[in-house]
Amino acid sequence: MLRTDVILSTIQMLQAEHLDVRTVTMGINISDCAGPDVTLICRKLKQKLRAKASRLVETCNRIGHKYGVPVTHKRLAISPASVLLEGHGSQAARQLAEALDEAAAELGIDLIGGFTALVQKGMTPGDRVLLESLPEVLSSTGRVCASVNAASTRAGINIDALRRLGELLPQIAERTADRDGFGCAKLVVFANIPEDNPFMAGAYLGAGEPEAVVNIGVSGPGVVSSAVRRRIETSGPLTLGELAEEIKITAFRVARAGELIGREVAAELNVPFGIVDLSLAPTPQVGDSFGEILKALGVEKIGAPGSTAAVAMLNDAVKKGGMFASSSVGGLSGAFLPVAEDAALADAVRQGHLSLEKLEAMTSVCSVGLDMVVIPGDTPPPTIAALMADELAIGVINNKTTSTRLIPAPGKKPGDMVEFGGLFGASAVIEVRNAACSGTFIEFGGRIPPPIHSLTN
Amino acid sequence: MNPSNGQSDDARRYVLNVVAEDRPGIVAVTSGAVVRMGGNIEACSQTVVRGYFTLIMIVCLPADIEVSAIRSAVVDVGSKGGFDVVVRPIHGVALPAMPSESENFIITAFGEDRPGTIFRFTSYLSDKGINIVDLYGDRADDRFVLISQVQIPPQWDLEMLQADLEHMGTELGFTVQVQHENVFVATNELRLRRERVKP
Repeated sequence: MLRTDVILSTIQMLQAEHLDVRTVTMGINISDCAGPDVTLICRKLKQKLRAKASRLVETCNRIGHKYGVPVTHKRLAISPASVLLEGHGSQAARQLAEALDEAAAELGIDLIGGFTALVQKGMTPGDRVLLESLPEVLSSTGRVCASVNAASTRAGINIDALRRLGELLPQIAERTADRDGFGCAKLVVFANIPEDNPFMAGAYLGAGEPEAVVNIGVSGPGVVSSAVRRRIETSGPLTLGELAEEIKITAFRVARAGELIGREVAAELNVPFGIVDLSLAPTPQVGDSFGEILKALGVEKIGAPGSTAAVAMLNDAVKKGGMFASSSVGGLSGAFLPVAEDAALADAVRQGHLSLEKLEAMTSVCSVGLDMVVIPGDTPPPTIAALMADELAIGVINNKTTSTRLIPAPGKKPGDMVEFGGLFGASAVIEVRNAACSGTFIEFGGRIPPPIHSLTN
Repeated sequence: MNPSNGQSDDARRYVLNVVAEDRPGIVAVTSGAVVRMGGNIEACSQTVVRGYFTLIMIVCLPADIEVSAIRSAVVDVGSKGGFDVVVRPIHGVALPAMPSESENFIITAFGEDRPGTIFRFTSYLSDKGINIVDLYGDRADDRFVLISQVQIPPQWDLEMLQADLEHMGTELGFTVQVQHENVFVATNELRLRRERVKP
């Protein structure tokens, strides 16, 4: 028999703190859709997605209802689309993306990830076709998300790929200039891309994964910030250690709720359950903000001294609680700092409290990197590439995932406001200091070699 | 001993129920009375609501003791506390009331306090053959909370039950939720009851 106080505390999380499962993402291997004819590829692709995922949305809704825990997003992540583009040209890339877009719409899926190329050590012709198609694909489709792994701890950093991405990003932004460069919000550039990440825009099904798999992302930061605030209000003087303990307990409960639902969805769809991603993924909704947790922890202005330490403590406590809750933790499993998608972070940028440099420092102790950061539209391409290189270097050296989702908003200057709407939020344009000073470094090109694994200071 | 009902020629089983104003020592004096009669306590549970204590025990006592004597023995030890005592012989083995494939759900209702709320909810559940295995209700100011742990037979469509209860809740000024117990287990207990998750 369950105790009444136990029931009430869970009800508190569900109702007052809006516990949800942020995403149930089904990974699907599409390599067997390859073929010499693009029309055939697209037809096989749609058939396969239908066969695997036609019941995904309905199943998530029904099981969410059964437990009183809504599943906010239902998404698909395919194995790298670049594989299907080997031997094909740019026309094929566009057709493939359209097919993915149509299939997702048909299945009631808002975003589909896996328009992906893994180029950390070099590019195949298929990878190149995919990269070059990004301006067109990301401007002409609504649901397709792209990612490029341009660095890894074992391979180093592919500066040639970053140099090209630095040139492509403004092109994507220009093609979506009517939405302030929104196309770039659907492209993530990674170091050490995880094979099982359920979160968009960087989700894809990596090598070593099953034919199909269900991965889940747990509830957002709203639950944690409410728990921290409640603990502070109801307890006497507290130490940071005690607050870390509260975060840990909350993360345990959040991860458990997510895994419960993920496993049942996987069982109903007759596919293996993959992982629980513990990342706290904010949304623009008030209260569902990572930045709010930092404020609850006493960092009055996000970006002030103490911000990095607070992020480190929070990220670590979430991992400890989640790791104890589940033996299937994976994905990114860190705290996200997606500026435009997090009301408090966006506000800190708008007020000038949070600089690009401080944000970068904060990302060194969490995931996922310079995420949803709006930069001036006239930022030179080599500077964009260098920003990516800096962020990816943090991941490569520290043997962890980092990434960038930079949006050079056309015609926008530092301090201008940009509104993407919906889940993608809004943000002020952040200043890129010392722009146009990295061209020579990037022009050298080549690959920064992988780091040494001893002498780790 | 008859294995079907636990009885023998020289021993009998009883349900012993004690209600009293809560104070330290109720269980001690009640169990003392059972021991002095030569009996044994096989199971027991207690609960306290707003200062009122209730105890239920399954006891095994010598067959030659009358029900009235058992009751008197317990009433006598509780004389200072004013025990209300019920003793009922057990004539058979209590069978599970619900089909084994029933699943456990938690129904929670929060809202304004009105007479008849528990009656409406429980009448609905009774009509559907839904067994309540635990019930908690409490009023604070004009607000009332009701938590019932129930066993829902498999023939009922959960979404329809939820719709019915939500509709009733709207009429009564309550928000009602029906949730599978596993979400409460998962978020509170260290060990998951995976076998309860139906594929």
